[in-house]
Amino acid sequence: MDRMDRKVAIPGDLLSEDKGRSGEGTYVKDDKVYSLLYGIANYRDKINVIPLAGKYVPATGDNVIGIVKDVTFSNWIVDINSPYDGLLHISEFPKRIEMDEMQNYLRIGSSVMARVKDVDSTMKVELTLNDRRLGTLKTGRIIEISHTRVPRLIGKGGSMISMLKKELNCNIFVGQNGRIWVNGNEKEMDLALKTILIIEKEAHTNGLTDRIVEFLRTETSARS
Amino acid sequence: MSTVVSEIRKDYLYNLMLKGQRADGRTFNGYRPISIEKNVVQKAEGSALVKLGKTQVLVGVKIQPGEPFADTPNRGVIITNAELVPLASPSFEPGPPNEFGIELARLVDRGVRESKSLDLDSLCIVPGEKVWIVFIDVHILDDCGNIMDASSLGAIAALLTATVPAKKFGLGEDYPLPVNDIPIATTAVVFGGVTMFDPDVDEESIADTKLTVITRADGSICGMQKSGTGVLTQDEIYRIVDIACENGKEIREKFLES
Amino acid sequence: MEDKITFIKDGIRLDGRRVDEARPIKVEVGVLARADGSCYLEMGNNKVIAAVYGPREVHPRHLQEVSRAIVRYRYNMASFSVEERRRPGPDRRSYELSKVSREALSPVILTSYFPRSVIDIFVEVLQADAGTRTAGINAASVALADAGIPMKSLISSCAAGKVDDQIVLDPMKEEDNFGQADMPIAMTPGGEITLLQMDGHMTVEESHRAMELAMKGCRDIYNMQRKVLIDRYSQMENATRQEEAVI
Repeated sequence: MDRMDRKVAIPGDLLSEDKGRSGEGTYVKDDKVYSLLYGIANYRDKINVIPLAGKYVPATGDNVIGIVKDVTFSNWIVDINSPYDGLLHISEFPKRIEMDEMQNYLRIGSSVMARVKDVDSTMKVELTLNDRRLGTLKTGRIIEISHTRVPRLIGKGGSMISMLKKELNCNIFVGQNGRIWVNGNEKEMDLALKTILIIEKEAHTNGLTDRIVEFLRTETSARS
Repeated sequence: MSTVVSEIRKDYLYNLMLKGQRADGRTFNGYRPISIEKNVVQKAEGSALVKLGKTQVLVGVKIQPGEPFADTPNRGVIITNAELVPLASPSFEPGPPNEFGIELARLVDRGVRESKSLDLDSLCIVPGEKVWIVFIDVHILDDCGNIMDASSLGAIAALLTATVPAKKFGLGEDYPLPVNDIPIATTAVVFGGVTMFDPDVDEESIADTKLTVITRADGSICGMQKSGTGVLTQDEIYRIVDIACENGKEIREKFLES
Repeated sequence: MEDKITFIKDGIRLDGRRVDEARPIKVEVGVLARADGSCYLEMGNNKVIAAVYGPREVHPRHLQEVSRAIVRYRYNMASFSVEERRRPGPDRRSYELSKVSREALSPVILTSYFPRSVIDIFVEVLQADAGTRTAGINAASVALADAGIPMKSLISSCAAGKVDDQIVLDPMKEEDNFGQADMPIAMTPGGEITLLQMDGHMTVEESHRAMELAMKGCRDIYNMQRKVLIDRYSQMENATRQEEAVI
């Protein structure tokens, strides 16, 4: 990507005189485009401002990693690293269970890979585990990064994440909510978490994928 | 608002512990990096900003003339207060100090008082009428674990920089507040049978028991407090006290005796 | 006959400033680990720190609003921040300042993005020397940006005062205590006023002059707020570029 196409913007910065170029993280006033966020402004056809921080707001279809924080009559209340809790109804568990058994399957502190099934206008968030790729997490490790850096961790067309999985020999599940689950042997996990934190820190910089490849080569060759 | 620690995180910390490790690479007895910036608030008679890892605590000391307590008419007064302001942690709420804030303030106070760090007799101005009142105000700015030790360190560092503002009140020349001892509070959590000093937030959240030991420069103890709902064995207590003396000595020599 | 302090001599104030000169400002962003956004700011001898938490769940729940986030602002002075020790906890003054400061920032915050949540802004005054509310608003505005809160713009705040029958920018303690008037404002970079208070005595003409001077002060502060936010990531970009150059 050409460097001239990106710059740091703060809320209120004038980005364009052409209101047709207003993209995500921007607003239009008097036919001009301004930034709504503190972040990196990307100039393409549209101008989008990618925030550098902020809370995750769930959207239908997102994959998230949650931690059970309460168990009620027929729902697990799940912390999804957001201002809004997720509700996982007993019927969204992969197998049929009775209400009095809920605690046996998921209790406070249990981690799940879930999908956002629906979000209504009052921000009631329904989750599901009904998919083969989803379920409970019992081993491995979870780290949290800012959800705004998740697209960078995934990379264009999944390039970054598939490279990581290949080089690190780990299972990695990326939650849109900024929680990442990594499973593999201890050393690989240590390196994976270290790498993910570098990607988070340098998400806004150019040439990141190449640097990460280089970093992983140095780390793995130093070890062998 | 308390946040739930996931079982995966607990398992990870537990497994590390079994291998003799901590998440940030420290030894069980080791402290995070400490820094003390003195005299950061010019309006206070003494002040110190303590950083213990990412934990930040600001302590200000104000010294003003006032009335002595009726039962100690010839002695100065120490008043210690701690504000767990909501700026410092998502789990702190606005309002008057809760039991944690009060316990913290009382422990800081105990260190200063019981070590006889301040000679209260020398803080008498007119017997029975007017004495110096030393206010120690602890302001927690960023709670990344073990605010107890950071607060105690901040209090003694602020006292060591404090000036008695005699001139302002027409009571002679200003002079440095006499400080006779340097009490150091050292806190450990007990978790799965091991003791870890200077716990961070994660370690605090998984351990159910804490012990704070306050030691004096001569190696004696001037205050202790067990907190939390768990139990301690006699051996654990003795071990914590021994290491607290060593840690206290090191911190005292490195940061406060110059 | 009363003894009068001379505040301005040959156009120079007690602390050496000209009448249209603000005190030195220092801004640091991202100074607290636990908060979602934070800022430390010095304006002369004022030292304030601001933290933003949220958007997060509202407690108590009945304060929730269905279609937007609520904004809370808590202005608090440390006991040791002033000459004579202050009793801890809020007083009538800090309730009022919290209210007007919240209202100074609210116009630019896009609360509709986060229904049923709260954005908490906490400002701690560590050292006070006249102008703590304006310093607090300046710090809070930067902390909000740091927390990734969507906003139409930053807010900048500054006061003008009247001493020795002259209008001065950014009064310090003596000028505030013994001066004839004080007028703090806050505004958007576009010049929309979001906070206005005034106490003392001014002619209408003087109030116009004070307004213009305070707005100039706000514009200068805005440039500093903006710079600290931009530099934070430009530096990283530069550092990375240098690394690349070495490789």
